[in-house]
Amino acid sequence: MSSISGLVAVLLTVLQWAGRGLPSPVRPICDPRVLDRFIMEARDTETALRGCKAGCGVTGTFVVPLTNVDFVVLETKDTEEQALEVQSGLFLFGQALGAVRESVSRAAVKSLIDNNKSNIHSLGQVLRSLHIKDLSLSPVPAVGDSATRKVSSLSELLRVHTNFLRGKVRLLLTNAPACQQNST
Amino acid sequence: MTNDNLNKLLVFCVLFCAQKTSIVHGAQALETKVALLLHAEPENPKCFAEGMSDLTCFWEEDEERTGSADQYSFIYTYQNENSSECSITALPAAGGKRLYFCRLSQTQLFVPLDIRVFRDDLLIHNRSLFIELVFLLDPPANLTLTSTGTQGQLKASWLPPSLKYMGDSMMYEVSYAMAGSHIGKVEEVQASSELILRGLQSGTKYKVRIRVKLDGISYSGYWSAWTDPVLMETMPGDLDPLIVSLSLIISLVLTLLSLLVLMSHRRFLLKKIWPIIPTPESKFQGLFKVYGGDFQEWLGHSTGGLWLRPAYFYSEEFPAPLEVLSEVSLGPALPSSALPPKASEALGEEDEDEKLKRVDSALEGWRETPQEHWPMDQLRAIHQHPAPWTQSSLLESHDAYVTLNAQNHSGEELLDDILEETLPLQVLFASGRTSSESRSDLGSFQQSSGLGRLSSQSSFEYPNHTWPPKGPGYTYMAVADSGVSMDYSPMSSSKIDDIGKGVIYTNEYKNEIPAHRRPIGTPIPFAF
Repeated sequence: MSSISGLVAVLLTVLQWAGRGLPSPVRPICDPRVLDRFIMEARDTETALRGCKAGCGVTGTFVVPLTNVDFVVLETKDTEEQALEVQSGLFLFGQALGAVRESVSRAAVKSLIDNNKSNIHSLGQVLRSLHIKDLSLSPVPAVGDSATRKVSSLSELLRVHTNFLRGKVRLLLTNAPACQQNST
Repeated sequence: MTNDNLNKLLVFCVLFCAQKTSIVHGAQALETKVALLLHAEPENPKCFAEGMSDLTCFWEEDEERTGSADQYSFIYTYQNENSSECSITALPAAGGKRLYFCRLSQTQLFVPLDIRVFRDDLLIHNRSLFIELVFLLDPPANLTLTSTGTQGQLKASWLPPSLKYMGDSMMYEVSYAMAGSHIGKVEEVQASSELILRGLQSGTKYKVRIRVKLDGISYSGYWSAWTDPVLMETMPGDLDPLIVSLSLIISLVLTLLSLLVLMSHRRFLLKKIWPIIPTPESKFQGLFKVYGGDFQEWLGHSTGGLWLRPAYFYSEEFPAPLEVLSEVSLGPALPSSALPPKASEALGEEDEDEKLKRVDSALEGWRETPQEHWPMDQLRAIHQHPAPWTQSSLLESHDAYVTLNAQNHSGEELLDDILEETLPLQVLFASGRTSSESRSDLGSFQQSSGLGRLSSQSSFEYPNHTWPPKGPGYTYMAVADSGVSMDYSPMSSSKIDDIGKGVIYTNEYKNEIPAHRRPIGTPIPFAF
């Protein structure tokens, strides 16, 4: 009896360790509707908080990535470079939204910000499913100041956030090699 | 060398022509888009992107304000970047107006773009836009309609605009209507290059066209121009199998019902459509088949046939001859068998005296030759001398002679209308009054009293062969009395046969007195 229980314990330990260490094979999330939902929610947040008086009580400056996309230039970039841009940008937005959440008092605004934050986390999962490293949690040193700029209002922050998702992130997901095999 | 030159010239011409065609084509497309935007976009300058890296902006100026293109300057600035200027070109427009164009060949999306237009350093237009939100694409190409093989369906397929990264963001609007009709339906489809139109009428020509727009999540823009309509006829209508089977079943059920009704009423219908002509064949067995309708012969040979008659006849005796005499001819009695029907009918309806007169006249008319007396004399002789005679058996003493005399109780008039179809027997048997006593054992023969113009005499009354000669050539009726019923058979003497094939009127009558008087003209049923 004791030998069996011991065996079960060992088995469970082994499985846990395996689950922790080894990356679980995730099916690539190539459905554009996933990102489309995030984009729409970001746009809704931007629209809802545009009329916020006095910036909803949010003060300070936030570092945000650049959102411009030049297709001609894009053609020259490879997926890794694009992925780097996306990940650093997502990281910056995560930071900024976290800071906004601290300074906002109204509950409704807080919930909207929380939603967008969770969406950014979900995007990290999506990138991982496409075999793109998720660097949203760790700072990206490669990205310089040229790739960022500063904003001073919540509405501007949210607008940039929306543009970033619509442009760079979407293009990355559309061009991901993992999704290229499935699409015709 | 000449060949090479010619070849080069040819190639150059082809290229030039192609370019010209494309330029013309492009110009037409531009014209369409300009017209669209002038209608759809209120802001100035009106800008649109056709591809991934271009932007075309224009604005319209009235005639009085127009100047040369040099007067205008188009300044655009991307966010966080320096301003740039775009070169302007002018094109004439309808109504004397002018269009000024600016075209950028390298653009940045997902970032705000500021545009300012100056005329002689005067700002006339100011606008900020996202280029990825002002797409105005070319209409889809190669719109084709095919049949799906199903009733009321058509499949529309097309070629999406060839824009990289944007294929899954495209939205299409398919408009279809019956050819010639202005009322049509519209269907939207996303990120697809084909659509099945359902619910169409069979065997009808449909007109289909399509336009494209970006879905508005990442990219957005204006609806493109409609493609040229494509016509296609749907499959011809087929009989719905359900309807066909249902109608077959219903018709089958109705047919069965009508057959049932017909069968249940077939006798009635047969009577109406094909009434049965009654024939006396059943009563006279062998009369028509064996003797060809010769009643005389049949009588002669059918003595044994009496036994074949229905069981309720128990005639074990030969029929007794019944002498029917005519009252009128006490003297020159004439055979009455050949009375013209008219006269006999008349007899039944008129007064006695008149009848006598008529009979007289009829008989007179009937008298042919002075030879009439010959048969009478002969018969008298026969009566007095019992010579063997073919018919003498009829006069034998043991036979019962019953004469039917048409007379009143008081009168002695005899009407020879025993042969008449209607009256005498009617009178005889139709009377409801009780008869007088029968005069013989044979005779359960009832005699009518009141109206009776007939009387009966039995041969038993004349036991000594004193049968009064009633005359020659007469038709008489033989009566056979079985004790249960009477059997009457009309007979005629051979002389009468010679004179004229006796028209013997046989009546059907029953040996009974009906409860009520029958109307004149109705034959009394008679059973042999």
